[in-house]
Amino acid sequence: MRVLVVDDNSTNLDLMLYLLRAFGHDATGCADGATGLETALRGDFDAVLVDILMPTMDGYEFARRFRAAPALRALPLIAVTALAMPSDRERIASAGFDGYIAKPLEPRTFVAQIEGFARPAGP
Amino acid sequence: MGWHVPCGEPPGVDQPSLTLDELATSRFPLLEYAPDAIVLVDDRGVIRLVNAQTERLFGYYREELVGQPVEILVPHDTRASHVADRADYASDPRVRPMGVGLDLHGLRKDGTSFPVEISLSPVETRDGTYVAAAIRDVTERKAFEVRLRELNAELERASRAKDQFLASMSHELRTPLNAIIGFTGTLLMELPGPLAPEQRRQLEIVQSSAQHLLALITDILDLAKIESGKRELTFEPVRIGEVVAAVAGALGTMAAAKRLTLRTVGVDSETVAITDRRALHQIVLNLVNNAIKYTDAGSVSIAVERVATGDRAGVRIGVADTGIGIKAEDLSRLFRAFEQLDPSSTRRHEGTGLGLYLCRNLATLIGATIEASSTLGSGSRFTLTLPLER
Repeated sequence: MRVLVVDDNSTNLDLMLYLLRAFGHDATGCADGATGLETALRGDFDAVLVDILMPTMDGYEFARRFRAAPALRALPLIAVTALAMPSDRERIASAGFDGYIAKPLEPRTFVAQIEGFARPAGP
Repeated sequence: MGWHVPCGEPPGVDQPSLTLDELATSRFPLLEYAPDAIVLVDDRGVIRLVNAQTERLFGYYREELVGQPVEILVPHDTRASHVADRADYASDPRVRPMGVGLDLHGLRKDGTSFPVEISLSPVETRDGTYVAAAIRDVTERKAFEVRLRELNAELERASRAKDQFLASMSHELRTPLNAIIGFTGTLLMELPGPLAPEQRRQLEIVQSSAQHLLALITDILDLAKIESGKRELTFEPVRIGEVVAAVAGALGTMAAAKRLTLRTVGVDSETVAITDRRALHQIVLNLVNNAIKYTDAGSVSIAVERVATGDRAGVRIGVADTGIGIKAEDLSRLFRAFEQLDPSSTRRHEGTGLGLYLCRNLATLIGATIEASSTLGSGSRFTLTLPLER
């Protein structure tokens, strides 16, 4: 699977890229929303992971633009964020994401979760 | 704006056997010494009688007022409408407050004005019908109201700031924990390479300490939300059986790992309570988690039974274990914050020390109670009693 990860925190970006690669996926990282969108549009990805609280373009704005782009509309978009209060979860659930993973993420199950969101169980 | 209907007519005022002059004499001290200014006005709007409080409130001697149009006491900007309102009242005279919803003001002799509340009442005398106006100075109350509004706004701002702080705190603490738990995990999964046994042992300590810290953060934020009244509750019909099954499902592995039997008793699909699902789930999860944690052999059971508490129908969820138990003198300390009973056992039974405290707070939120009973050495039983209706 080719996965794009967008997170402004370099350590957390490092962790996600490391885990995805360790499980045999092709992972690309971006440190901000704008670069992330450009990369998503240029590349051929199977899933995109995005942090929510980021400077200049946050995850909500990212999701709006992402869904507005015809080429990206059907691509699985997953929020991976340390926003974990119930009100955050509700807002994220209604903001156009296909999945939500709270940080701290669970390293043993993280990649399987991403695979589940990216390839919803077929008929 | 609330209106105060004041003392009403002095005794005998509405008996047409009296004349205005008789009213004016000291035969009716209640009128003269009433705490409100009382002004009697005739059908042409002329003041015929005032009491002592009128002199104090408006700064006139009564001789200066009697014979004057009542508008002398009304600020200039509302005099014209006052004349029209007076005519309206004359067409339908009854006891009522004046100008409901309006900010009324009185005008003193020195030209200053002050906020008032006024009650009107027709007064029958042998000389004819008059209108009595009872006027109350509400300057102080208005000032209190303004101050109260300011204080409320201030509290709301502080409360919003606190919410914002809690949300940021949760996010900021979780971000570095993500790296700690994440990379400890990758090392323990031996993704970068194999571990020596001692390296594994030490990394497992890092991992469980980080998990402990995460649990503390979650509990503290939960408590902060409950204490600031910000815990969002959704009261809806909740099948008790579903909650019990979900908890048993979530903790089954943990019980099995300790070779404990985890049983549910009396679970049906009919028992439904109007409650907050998340809070109820959190309480039961916490109680069962504790039961498993403090039991080394035997069983943990979750029993559901219908009860009546007073005249209300309720449901009791009992969590019983065959564990180490609690000393009688410790039972009362159980629900306090950071009270793990046996200090020597904290290493063995990792916990935040906030679990039961949080449970009791959550229970109060949903109108439930928690009780504990125990025999040292042979087990404990925690019961949550919950009303079926709100």
